[in-house]
Amino acid sequence: MRLYVDIEKRLDPFRLQVKLDVGSEILVLFGPSGAGKTMTLQSIAGLVAPDAGEILLDGRALYRRHRPGSAANLPARKRRVGYVFQDYALFPHLSALENVAYPLWRKPGADERALALLRRMRIEHLADRCPREMSGGQQQRIAIARALASEPDILLLDEPFAALDAALRERLQRALRDVQRELGLVVLCVTHNLEDAFAIGDRLAVVHEGQVTQVGKVDEVFRRPADIRAAESVGLRNAFRARVQRATADGVGLDWDGLTLEAPPQHAVPGEDVAMYIRPEDIKLLYGDRAIGESLRHNQVEAVVTGRHVVAGFTSLFVKISNGHELEVRFPVYTYGGLALEVGTRVRLSLRREGLVLLPPPPSLDTFARVSIE
Amino acid sequence: MDWSPFLLSLRVTAVATGFIVVVGLALALLLARGRFPGRSLLEAVVMLPLVLPPTVVGYYLLRVLGSGGPFADQLSLNMVFTWAAAVVASFVMGLPLMVQSSRAAISNVDPTLESAARTLGSSELGVFFRVTLPLARRGVLAGVVLGAARAFGEFGATLMVAGNIPGRTQTLPLIIYDAVQRRDYAQANRFVLLMTALSLISLWGVRRLASSR
Repeated sequence: MRLYVDIEKRLDPFRLQVKLDVGSEILVLFGPSGAGKTMTLQSIAGLVAPDAGEILLDGRALYRRHRPGSAANLPARKRRVGYVFQDYALFPHLSALENVAYPLWRKPGADERALALLRRMRIEHLADRCPREMSGGQQQRIAIARALASEPDILLLDEPFAALDAALRERLQRALRDVQRELGLVVLCVTHNLEDAFAIGDRLAVVHEGQVTQVGKVDEVFRRPADIRAAESVGLRNAFRARVQRATADGVGLDWDGLTLEAPPQHAVPGEDVAMYIRPEDIKLLYGDRAIGESLRHNQVEAVVTGRHVVAGFTSLFVKISNGHELEVRFPVYTYGGLALEVGTRVRLSLRREGLVLLPPPPSLDTFARVSIE
Repeated sequence: MDWSPFLLSLRVTAVATGFIVVVGLALALLLARGRFPGRSLLEAVVMLPLVLPPTVVGYYLLRVLGSGGPFADQLSLNMVFTWAAAVVASFVMGLPLMVQSSRAAISNVDPTLESAARTLGSSELGVFFRVTLPLARRGVLAGVVLGAARAFGEFGATLMVAGNIPGRTQTLPLIIYDAVQRRDYAQANRFVLLMTALSLISLWGVRRLASSR
C-alpha cells in the first residue's frame, strides 16, 4: 500500500500545501492546532475537496484536479478510508455493536465480525451499551473498531489520544501499532503531542501553517529539525545564535557572546552567524567534587539558578549563565539528589557537545526571537 | 349519526399527510443542509401559509388549480370542488408545520456523524435514512403530527377551493360551520367534541414525543 498526497487548498488565513508519500506505516502529522492537519485528513477521506492536486492510492486516483490525467473525485464511501474522528462521532442511536456493524450493513455474518473486532479491542462486554454510557476511552476503542470494520486500506486518526489517561493511552497506542502491522495499513495520525508522536510514529511530518516543513524518522526530526520553523513546531527550548569560528572534520567551534562552545562536525561556514539549539535534556549539572566524564569535558559554563518547576517526573531548572543568556535544564526528579538547587545557587553545567545542533538560517529574526524567548 | 364527513376528513387528512411527510422531509433537508442561492426565499414561500389568511391561500390555489390555471389548461385536470382540492388545501396549510419542526431537528444532528457515515460506506440516501432521520425522529414525528392536525382542521382554504358539497367535499370543520348555520346545535356539538378530542390526543402525542428520552 502506498498513499501519495499532493494537494493545495486556500484556507483562511493561509494556504494548505501538503505533499506526502506514505507507505504501510504510521505517519504522524505533527503541528500546532490550526496548522491544517485535520483539513489534510478530510481531503484524503473525501469529506472536503482540495482546490487542486492529486491523491493516489497505489496509483489509483482518489482525487485529481488541475494535474495531468483525467480528473477524479471519488466519493468518501468509495475511498476505503477509515476515519477516527477527534470526538469519535459514534452514532448515539446505536449500541456499540451496531456502531461497529454499521459498515457491514446487510452483509452476512456482520454481527459476528463486529463482535470479533470488539473482542480484539477488548471491549466485547460493552456490545449492548449506548455511546453515552461509555467513557472516552471506551468510545475511542469503539470508533477504531468501527473504522476497521469497513476493511479500509487507509486509517486516519484525528488526535486519537487527546482525551485519554496515561495508562489507557499506552495500551491503545500498542493496539494501534499491532493493528497497523498485522493489516499493513497506511496510517496517518494527527497529534500535537510529542510523546504520542514518539510512541506510535514510524515517521513524523511537521505541519506548520499549511505546509509540511519536514518529514523523517521521529527522533531524527526531533534531534535535527530541518529549520527553525520545524524546531518551533516540536517545541524547542534553548535556541540561540552564535558565530562559527572554526569548522573542521573534528568539530565546529562557536563563539556564543563570549563563550566558546564545541559542537560535533556538521555543516558550517566560519565567520557566519548560525542559529543553534541544545535540548534541555542535553545540559548536565556537574558536581564540584566528582570527576567529570569524557562526554561532559567540553562546554563547561558557570550559571546561577533563576527558577525551577517540576512537571511529570521531570525537573525543569532555569539558569542564567555567565554571558547573560538563560537556559532550561531538564532532568528526572530523582537525579542530582546531592546538589542544592535553590533559586540563587551557583552551579556548573556542561552543554553536551553531541547535543549542540546547528540549524539552517531562520526565515526571519522575528521567528527566531519567539523561539528563544520560549 | 352520519359518519361520512368524518370518514371524508380522515381520507383527506391521510392523503395530505402522506404528501406532507415526503415533500416536507425533502424541503427540511434542503433547507437544513443545502447551500444555494434563494434558500431564504424558498423558506419564506413554504412558510407563507402560516401567516397568510387561509382565504388568501385558498384564492391562490383556486387560481392555480382552477380553469385558466396550469393544471386545468395543460393537463385538463380540473380539481376544483373535488376532494382532491381539499387534499391540496390541507397539504399546503399543513406543510409549513412539518418543515419547521423537521428542519430544526435535522439542523441539530451533528454533521460529523453524517461525515462518519459517509466514510463507512453509506450513500447520501443511506446517510439520511440510517443516521440523520433516526437522530431527528422526534422533531420529525412532532412535525408530522402537527401537520396532520392542521390538515385535519383545515377550513378556510378548503372552502375556497373545494367548496362545501355534502358527501363530496364537506369535511368535519365545514359541516360544523354548516350545522351552526342551520342552527342544528346537536350535530355541531357532536362534531365539535369529536374534533376537540382528536386534537387533544394529538397534542398529548406531541408532548410524549418531545419528552421521551
